[in-house]
Amino acid sequence: MTAATKKTVLLVLRHSPYGSGLAKAALDAALASAAFDQSVDLLFMGDAVLQLQPDQDSHPLGMKTIGRQLASLPLYDINHVYVDAQAAARYNMDLSKAPLQTRPLGGHDMHQLMVGYDHLLGF
Amino acid sequence: MILHTLNASPSSAAFTDCVSIMAKGDALVLMGDGVYAALAGTEASKTLQETDASLYIMTADALAAGVTNLAAAVSRINMEGLVTLTETFPRQQAWY
Amino acid sequence: MIYSLLVLSSPFSGHSSRRAAQFAHCVTARGHTIHRVFFLDAGTLASAANSVSAQDEESPVTGWAELADQHGIELAICITSALKHGMLDQVEADRHERASPTIDAAFTVSGLGQLVDAYASSDRLITFGG
Repeated sequence: MTAATKKTVLLVLRHSPYGSGLAKAALDAALASAAFDQSVDLLFMGDAVLQLQPDQDSHPLGMKTIGRQLASLPLYDINHVYVDAQAAARYNMDLSKAPLQTRPLGGHDMHQLMVGYDHLLGF
Repeated sequence: MILHTLNASPSSAAFTDCVSIMAKGDALVLMGDGVYAALAGTEASKTLQETDASLYIMTADALAAGVTNLAAAVSRINMEGLVTLTETFPRQQAWY
Repeated sequence: MIYSLLVLSSPFSGHSSRRAAQFAHCVTARGHTIHRVFFLDAGTLASAANSVSAQDEESPVTGWAELADQHGIELAICITSALKHGMLDQVEADRHERASPTIDAAFTVSGLGQLVDAYASSDRLITFGG
């Protein structure tokens, strides 16, 4: 990779962990960014909050467990993880049990967050 | 300021999430199944107009879908119009 | 301005992949540079060389291949997604002992590092999904 100017990037995740390939694609993109020393932040919106459900085990489905892979993100210096507070409440989720430490945000705050980045990647 | 692109029908989670983020100063381009949100006299087009964002629809997609009765606040654009919007807005969020 | 595109949509479902190709043509026509188009997840199917379209329908591959031919734009498909979807170049076909490559020559099999390079090098990153 060329030493291009760094950009600030937010990955906006919107889909459930196993209903499509998008959760895995976003995770891979986040890990690749870290590997190339380009920092990214994550926002879990809408059904993507379900990726943060504790006690996931997708091995019986023959797939890697998304929740467990998310837990490894801080090892790659991905530490700014935001979550749609309303969506988490809709699914009655206890975010203190999520595999990642997250910061809950309301709709207005999510907009404020998003305008602070050069690029938004919607998964 | 965010350029939103919506490629999902008004009954989708994508629509709901998109609307929850849209704010004055943003723009929204309806494409694919997103064009149905522009239908005049619907709850969806009313919801969009209440966000105070600028609203656009891809002409070719609207024609394909037979969406001709547009809510007053929605302007038709072609592909060049979409490119122009990406020139103006520094970032885009794709909702689908 | 420098643009890159991220295409996540399957070319065989909806119009999004074709729209992305038309967008890319238009970006070029307006005098901008496209650094790279990166295909991820089902988006990689845009490279399907063996896809046969109905007679009255345009192949989804054609619009992309024209972009590479006419403007030299790099069309990079994510290797992980590509292999999963059966999209192989000659190297991968040999490596995985498949009879022949399945991707159109206009496309290149790449790692996700090329997506990172794309957004790091571009003023605009436009995503097409759904």
